[in-house]
Amino acid sequence: MNIIMPQLGETVAEGVVTKWYKKVGDAVKADETLFDVETDKVSTEIPSPVAGIVAEIVVAEGVTAKVGATLAIIREAGDAKAAAKPAAAAPAVASVAPAAAAAVLSQAPSGRPRVNAADRLSPVVRRLVAEHSLNPSDITGTGRDGRITREDVKEFIARRGSRPASAPAAVAAPAPVQAGQTVAFNGIRKRVAENTAKSWQTAPHVLQVAEADFLRVDQARKLHGAAWKAREGFSLTYLPFIVRAVSIALGKFPKLNASLQGDGLVLHRRINIGIAVDLNFDGLVVPVLKDVPAKSLPQIAREINDLAQRARAGKLRPDEMTEGTYTITNNGAFGTVITAPIINQPQVAILSADGIRKKPVVVESDGGDSIAIRPVGVLAQSFDHRAVDGSYSAAFLAEVKNAIETRNWEQALES
Amino acid sequence: MKSKKTAVAEDDIGRDIRLELFRMQLELRLCEKRAFDLFLQNMIKGTSHLSLGQEAIAAAFGVAMRPDDYTFCTYRGHAHTLARGASMSGVLGELMGRECGLLGGKGGSMHLTDVSKGAMGSYAIIGAHLPVAAGAAWSAQYRGTEQVSVCFFGDGTTNIGAFHEALNFAVIWKLPVIFVCENNLYMEYTPIHTVTAVEHPAADRASAYNLEKIVVDGNDADAVYRTATKYIDRARKGGGPALIECMTYRHSGHSRADPAKYRPEGELEKWLERDPIKIYRERLLGLGIVDATLKDIEDEVNQQVNEATEIAKASPPPSLDGIHQHVWADGGASWRN
Amino acid sequence: MAELTYRDAVAAGIAQEMARDERVVFLGEDIAAAGGVFKATVGLLDKFGPKRVRDTPISEQAILGAAMGAAMTGLRPIAEIMFSDFLAVCWDIVANEIAKSRYMTNGQVQMPLVIRTANGAGSRFGAQHSQSVENWAMMIPGIKVVAPAFPADVKGLIAAAVRDDDPVLIFEQKSLYPMKGEVPDGEYVDELGKARVLRRGKDCTIVALALMVHRALAAAEILEKEHGISCTVVDVRSLVPLDTATILAEVALTGRLVTVEENPRLCGWGAEIASIIADECFWELDGPIIRITTPHIPLPSADQLEDNTIPSVERIVREIREKID
Repeated sequence: MNIIMPQLGETVAEGVVTKWYKKVGDAVKADETLFDVETDKVSTEIPSPVAGIVAEIVVAEGVTAKVGATLAIIREAGDAKAAAKPAAAAPAVASVAPAAAAAVLSQAPSGRPRVNAADRLSPVVRRLVAEHSLNPSDITGTGRDGRITREDVKEFIARRGSRPASAPAAVAAPAPVQAGQTVAFNGIRKRVAENTAKSWQTAPHVLQVAEADFLRVDQARKLHGAAWKAREGFSLTYLPFIVRAVSIALGKFPKLNASLQGDGLVLHRRINIGIAVDLNFDGLVVPVLKDVPAKSLPQIAREINDLAQRARAGKLRPDEMTEGTYTITNNGAFGTVITAPIINQPQVAILSADGIRKKPVVVESDGGDSIAIRPVGVLAQSFDHRAVDGSYSAAFLAEVKNAIETRNWEQALES
Repeated sequence: MKSKKTAVAEDDIGRDIRLELFRMQLELRLCEKRAFDLFLQNMIKGTSHLSLGQEAIAAAFGVAMRPDDYTFCTYRGHAHTLARGASMSGVLGELMGRECGLLGGKGGSMHLTDVSKGAMGSYAIIGAHLPVAAGAAWSAQYRGTEQVSVCFFGDGTTNIGAFHEALNFAVIWKLPVIFVCENNLYMEYTPIHTVTAVEHPAADRASAYNLEKIVVDGNDADAVYRTATKYIDRARKGGGPALIECMTYRHSGHSRADPAKYRPEGELEKWLERDPIKIYRERLLGLGIVDATLKDIEDEVNQQVNEATEIAKASPPPSLDGIHQHVWADGGASWRN
Repeated sequence: MAELTYRDAVAAGIAQEMARDERVVFLGEDIAAAGGVFKATVGLLDKFGPKRVRDTPISEQAILGAAMGAAMTGLRPIAEIMFSDFLAVCWDIVANEIAKSRYMTNGQVQMPLVIRTANGAGSRFGAQHSQSVENWAMMIPGIKVVAPAFPADVKGLIAAAVRDDDPVLIFEQKSLYPMKGEVPDGEYVDELGKARVLRRGKDCTIVALALMVHRALAAAEILEKEHGISCTVVDVRSLVPLDTATILAEVALTGRLVTVEENPRLCGWGAEIASIIADECFWELDGPIIRITTPHIPLPSADQLEDNTIPSVERIVREIREKID
């Protein structure tokens, strides 16, 4: 059995094997720790999935390998397969691969004819396909009636080696900052550079901005704020309310909670909202709140607080950084007016919540118009114009605005 | 005057025990009445089975037992639990579903228990506790402690299977268990004689288990006390079980939901004449105990009930944490890892 | 290590605990003088005397009620219900009293008791003496449930059950009484709530209990040798507490769950495990969950009929071949 570099987070494409616990010839039990791996986000122990003898160690300690690359081979009892598979698909160092992945990576179809292969994807196959951004029609099914099995997907990944989309590794040399000063990119910076550049190049970004009156949110915050702080140990900010308003709107505008796939849009069933967290100006990480519609407002607030704290401490689990379907970035603390954020691939939209400040607004009533002072916030969404058009996005923003301005936030806090 | 004092002093029961019996019946009566009042004020929910009118039985056995004896009673068990010394605020608190309740609000009226006082539970499935009481007696016999197990149940219980299994079992193993049937003439809403093959539902079955037929006036605390001590002492010394049928009457319906319209006219009034506390008070006066003494006891018990009520009312509802506690001995409720 | 039969392991386990703790007593029908109708408790009366090992009348409610009363007052009784079908006769004591007293009294009452019973089919006793009713017990909150498959497990789980402070029901499979197996010498105590992986494979994870464990193992051997399908076999052993961690981990490795249950189909113990897997292991499943159970009918008694009703080795092999790829 090939031991491959696991996928430890959606934006992670490679890792370093930092320690092997077994050497060639050692016996290993199932679930026994086999090696340690480190990515720019997380460091973790990986257990062996099977029992057997370590037949070959392909990637040595200290070497970086791409997700899906073969790291070692374990010969199980009664293993009829050839002991060693060629490790050619897994170069030790991250390498350049063409952006057009399909031509390079598809296999010549072989084996039994596929019968409605796309209709017979089991849960684990669906998950692996989604996690690795695969196209099922590229994979040969060896299961009953040509069904794609879990093993088929795993072997496909192992043979192929890397994910289809990878940016050129060479980064244009930056203009000199100050005389004599060069700041080398760390792992996270490299990651962000690659991802934002790729996103910007592939997705036609459109910025659309709406303003919302945060009066009712403020009223709820004032009413419950002190008791909340005393009970929970942290303050109730605007962000949980924005997250809730966005999750409501995404429910009504599902094309913004989606991913592009070939010539279509995959509408995600779950609404998992990523919250961009700045790591003290030294990088960005996006922990994900899963299944936001199922959570109460207090739960959302608690989870945001917990995820942000652990993000800054470097203590996020791999599964807390995956499966996001929409992202919110929040620079409001610095009082910015508008931000045009870059979409977090493979999503199709991202929202920036900038500063909320008191502004004079016109309030209409039967007696005539008057001026009132209200807390006004800007909601700036970048959307991928391949997925939706301006009117759809605008209608979505109107829904977010409506939720913020009219929802019974006091009641929501009591749930 | 002098002859009356002598009558008390020479008596096999004696003044102290009698005053204890009086006090105990009063505690049971007044606490139960308070429970009824609280129900009318909607502070007690659910169902509750009152034993108003039957106090002499629980009180007399309560006084006759040793503190380390075991009792088992039915869902109509407020009195039996109090008679072992359980706290009134614990009982009222449990009925009101408060934190200070004997069971922390987890069991309710039908399951009052105070293991520290030997009150080993009130049981809501008819007859179930009879074999359990026999088991406790077996344990005492095995450990050689001379503890006795006393089991209270109603006339309706005598027709269910567990009654017969328990009696046979107790006799063949000669267990120190006293089975006490409180025959209040009604099995829930039905007169017991219409559904029972014999006249005395318990006492007339005794011979089937090679036991003595014992019927006693359940509203006469002295009579019950004498019977109780006789058979408890005999069991304690290894003389085996007994089945005692106490004739009594309940003043209210089967449960609070039942206004008891099925009783024939005049029956309740006739029995109210024979109210055990009324009878006992008169007897004590007749035996030379001064009214002031009795009045003092009445005042004390009233105050006790009032204090207990206030404590129970002030107690908060139980914490929600209790929901998942005490399924297992480790205090938890987990069925998986 | 000694080789003991399953039935001798019962007596050995009880004897070990009775020797160790004077509070352990044992009661049931024909268990003392006769050594049990299945001869599973031979020698205990001689060893521990009539005060501690007692024959009772045919009074299931009294047997369990007395065990409960004794457990509440300082003893640690073992009660036998001769055939598990008879639990229906005293089910009130099990489900309403024993299971609930500690909870209703908010922890005041103790209940350290063990109920052993002969369960299951294969002995041609007919529908009222052959049922597998572990699932009846599994679904009542407040009782622990184990079902040993091997003689070693019998001794070890009886010991663990007696030492556990909670009520434990032990379902011994009556057709396994003559089965021989290695049993550790000396004091041996197993653990409640722990499943055991008996065999590792790649294609599916079979989860089985008691008699079905042996059939699953035999089927796995045939599947491997003759059909190239390799199966993990997990002996659940304990339904409550349930070793969900082991079951989840083993199913995640192969991606397929197969349960083999002797109980009738509806609400069998495997249904709960299937539900847990579908909930917590969904994204590892490479195909539908398969339950192999006795059909939902009372059991017939004639040899051929009974053998073709409860899951056989042949049926296990066939269903796995048909449904696992």
